[in-house]
This record gives sequence, C-alpha cells and structure tokens, in this order.
Amino acid sequence: MIVLGIETSTAQVACALGGAEGVMAAFESGPGVPLPGRNRATPRHAELLAPAIEFICQQARVDLKDVGVVAVDLGPGMFTGVRVGVATGKALAQALRIPMVGLGSLDLLAFPVRYADRTVAAVLDARRDEVYFALYRPVPAGVQRVGETRVCSPDELYAELLAHGEDVLAVGDGAVRYRETLRRLDGVEIDVVHPFPSAASLVTLAHARAVREEFVQPWEINPVYLRPAVGERAAS
Amino acid sequence: MSERLAPPPGDPILGIETSCDETAAAVVAGGTHVLSSVVSSQVDLHARHGGVVPEIASRAHTELLLPVVAEATIEAGIEDSEITAVAATIGPGLAGALLVGVASAKALALAWDVPFIGINHLEAHLYAAFLEEPDLEPPLAVLLVSGGHTMLVAFEGHGQYRVLGGTIDDAAGEAFDKVARHLGLGYPGGPVIDRLAMNGDREAIDFPRPMRNEGYDFSFSGLKTSVINHTRKHPDSSPEDIAASFQEAVVDVLVHKARKAARDIGASGLCLAGGVAANSSLRERVLDACIEDGLRAFVPSRSMCTDNAAMVASTAYYRLKSDGPTPLDAPARPNLGL
Ligand SMILES: [Zn+2]
Repeated sequence: MIVLGIETSTAQVACALGGAEGVMAAFESGPGVPLPGRNRATPRHAELLAPAIEFICQQARVDLKDVGVVAVDLGPGMFTGVRVGVATGKALAQALRIPMVGLGSLDLLAFPVRYADRTVAAVLDARRDEVYFALYRPVPAGVQRVGETRVCSPDELYAELLAHGEDVLAVGDGAVRYRETLRRLDGVEIDVVHPFPSAASLVTLAHARAVREEFVQPWEINPVYLRPAVGERAAS
Repeated sequence: MSERLAPPPGDPILGIETSCDETAAAVVAGGTHVLSSVVSSQVDLHARHGGVVPEIASRAHTELLLPVVAEATIEAGIEDSEITAVAATIGPGLAGALLVGVASAKALALAWDVPFIGINHLEAHLYAAFLEEPDLEPPLAVLLVSGGHTMLVAFEGHGQYRVLGGTIDDAAGEAFDKVARHLGLGYPGGPVIDRLAMNGDREAIDFPRPMRNEGYDFSFSGLKTSVINHTRKHPDSSPEDIAASFQEAVVDVLVHKARKAARDIGASGLCLAGGVAANSSLRERVLDACIEDGLRAFVPSRSMCTDNAAMVASTAYYRLKSDGPTPLDAPARPNLGL
C-alpha cells in the first residue's frame, strides 16, 4: 500500500511517498528566507505543496491513483500551515476515494530520536513566546507519549522538565530557539539535527497504521490547534 | 436545477469560494448553466462576535468545504470524472480563509488531473449578472457593494474593467453593520436594517449624503457618525425611522453615482453586484433609475448577489478560455484588486 504523507505544520513544506519498502520519494523545503524588512520567513505552504506532490509522484513514478492512503500532520503548529496540509490531504483523499491517517506533529517530531536512552521532550516553536510540547518515553520501535500535549511558555516548560527530574533529550525548533533556557537544567541535551517533523516519519508511522487498517475518512480529519480561535490574530 | 431532463451542456467546472465567511461550491457548465450552487453560511458562528473573526472563518472552511463540494457535485448530477476544471477564489479576502479554498482546489485538480483556475473575487461578482442574463451587452456600469468592497466599475468587455471609484473609508456593507451594532440590532446589519426600514419614514431624519456630488468615490464613515450623534441627541427617536433614513442616505448616494457613471461611460445598462445589492430599497431605486434613464437594469437574484461559488465557476470558464490554467504554485492574494 502506497502512502502519501503531507507535512506542513511548521515553516517547512514537506511531502513523501512510501510503502512497505520504506520511503520512495520525498520533498522538503527549507524554512525559507525572510523577505526584506521581516525577521521571519513567510511560509509558502499553499504555493509549494501541490507542485511538490506532483514532483514526488514523477520521481517515484507513482500515479496519484495508485496511492492507497493520505497521511497528514494534524498539528499543533502554524495554523495556516497545518490547514493547507489538512485541506490538501482531505481534498486528495475525497477525490481519490481513499482513507486517511492523521498524526500529531509532536509524535512525528519525537519519532526520529526513538533510540535515545532518555525521555524525549518534543518542543515546537508556537510563536508569541510560547511552545507546543509533550514528553515521550522510548519504547521498542518507537516512542510513547507520557501525559498531555500542551502549549505553554518556555519558563513553564523549564519548570515541567525540572519537576520531571530525569535526563531529557529536547528536540524541535522550539528546543533550539529556547536552548539557553533549557540548558540551565542539568541533564538536558538539545538535538539540533531534527528541528521539524519529517514527512518520512509521517509515511513510516502512517504505513504501520494503515496496515492495521487504523484509518479514518476525510470528513473525520480536522486540525489540532490547542489554542482558541477567538483572540487570535489573523493568520499566523 | 437538480431535475434536468436533457444532459448538461459541456465543460462543467467546479467552483470554490472561501474568501470570507461563506463556504461555497458550485458546478457551472458552459459558463452560464448553473447545475448546482451550495452555500454554507458561517454567519451564526460570527454573529456573537459582532463581525467576521478571521481565525473562526478559516477553521470553519476547513471543516465545511469538502462536504459542500460533495453536495455540489451530487446536486449537479454529475460524476467527478465529468468535471473539466476546478476554480477557486484567490483574492481579495481573508488570507487564511482563501488558503483553505485554494489548497483544496489545487488538490482536487491534481487528483482529477484537470486544470486549476485562480479567480479574482471582484471579477466573479461582476460575472454574477451574466449567469442570469447571458445576453448582457457591454459597456455597463457596475455598482459592486458588499461588506468588504464598494466600487463603481466600467465593464467594457470580458476581462476588461476600469475602476471608476471606490470607498475612501468604510465599505457600504460595513456601514450597515456598524449602524446596526450601534442600534443594538445584531449582526449582520444589512438584512436587519432593511427589514426595520420597511416600517420607518425614510424622510424622518435628514442624514448627510457624503461626497454625493464629488466624483465617483464614496465615504460612509461620516454618515455612521451622524447616526450615532443623532441617537445620542434624540434617544427616543424610532429605530424604524433611523434605519429608513440611514438606508435612504446610503442608497441615494450609491444610485446617484451609479447613474452618473452610466451616463458618463455611455453604458447600455446598469448592473448591481455584491451582498448589499440584496437590499430591497437599493434594488427598487436602481430599477426606477434605469427606467427613467432608458438603461437596461441587471439586478441579480439575492442568492447571486451574496458570495457564492457559481460566480467563481462562471468566471473561470471565460478565464480558462482567455488565459489558460493557473499554475499550481500560484499564491493566494488577499489584497488583489480588480
Ligand atoms: Zn464578495
């Protein structure tokens, strides 16, 4: 079964095709270069994603009609990024009449460091001086979340990790951004190699679920925001 | 629409509209045959906030759009494989809301292997009149009035427009919303004021007609202020009279300028578009003015005035012919002009 994975919950745009044999083709944009006068790159999810999907299909010589499952990152993350990915995935699945698998951004972030010998803190930059984070325990062949996925300030994250009391590997662009705060703790290591959830992890995890027939229909898929809509500024 | 006896005319195009607070999809064949037009309004979600909250709109579009698309194709009585192109509004509008429609439309086009067409929402409003009156002959003066825009446009042919004037402050629909909020009438303001005005005296209060005799631009912010001042000074004047007199002032300025525009450009007709074109007094006055001036009046049905996707699919038919498909890397353009 061929899985198409769509990963747009951060400033990067990524997608991949894969199956039982692993990843067949993948596209990954960098987080982009800021426009003049801006200190942050303007993400271009809606511009890059559809051509990128077309591109990986050509590279892997896969017709979209041969895809069996569409997997998407549900967030939390950048609202518009997540929405572009979820809207694209839902539309593809509805048009191709195939089911979907939705996974959380922090689950995907923690997966590549599953061989760590300690607790993993997956931390994504949520902007406005906050982070999305969750703790994971490495288990055979993966990671298992411990507790809730939350949005909080870096100081609250610091307090949480302090209370946790064990050695931690912190991963994600939020961990990198607030590394000075986190390094005040003993036993905290920062992973700088995997700052964003990867489309390859998404395809790998989604394929395992699809094999167990743990999928959902496109109309059942919706983004996870963790923040209320009211009081939010327009499009992040 | 769903009970067709003959097969549909060729080239059915799926249109998608998510620029503000209506989630809409429609199938239009041959540019003018509306096979289906589904609109899911989010107005109740925004009403308690007194206006459209962009993030609420974006979230709702994400949930509502695909069911609306499915409904539109089912109602059109066609198979997905019969759709020849997918169009979506790319701007102007709320950035996050536009992106949901654009991303979904691109994905549908990719999956069905048909062209994607990005459509200008303002142009689509102009084409709404074509849907009901396909023999419409340019040049025309078009008055486009809604919660987001107020424009006078010279329509000189397919794809050829000249913007004659616009608002320098509030859009006409915005003025209705703000006055309704001030009078405690709730949101959206247009329909409530329209209803209330029916039982009021439109000559009761002589509200100002800002910029009535100056060029083609509009200004509604001062009018809103004088309504507020009036209610402060006369707390017991009847809301019906205020609504009727305020509406009269807005309609008077709009119709006066639209007639002048039609005369100046030598138009054969005057055309109404946009959500405020659903206002009963504006419709009546435009019809009267056209009879007096010997112009053809194009007053689309109310459902074609407010945001819908049939107008998007219709415009796409002509745009595909003139410009070809839109590349899949085209951005949404929240500040797009005409
Ligand atoms: Zn509109």
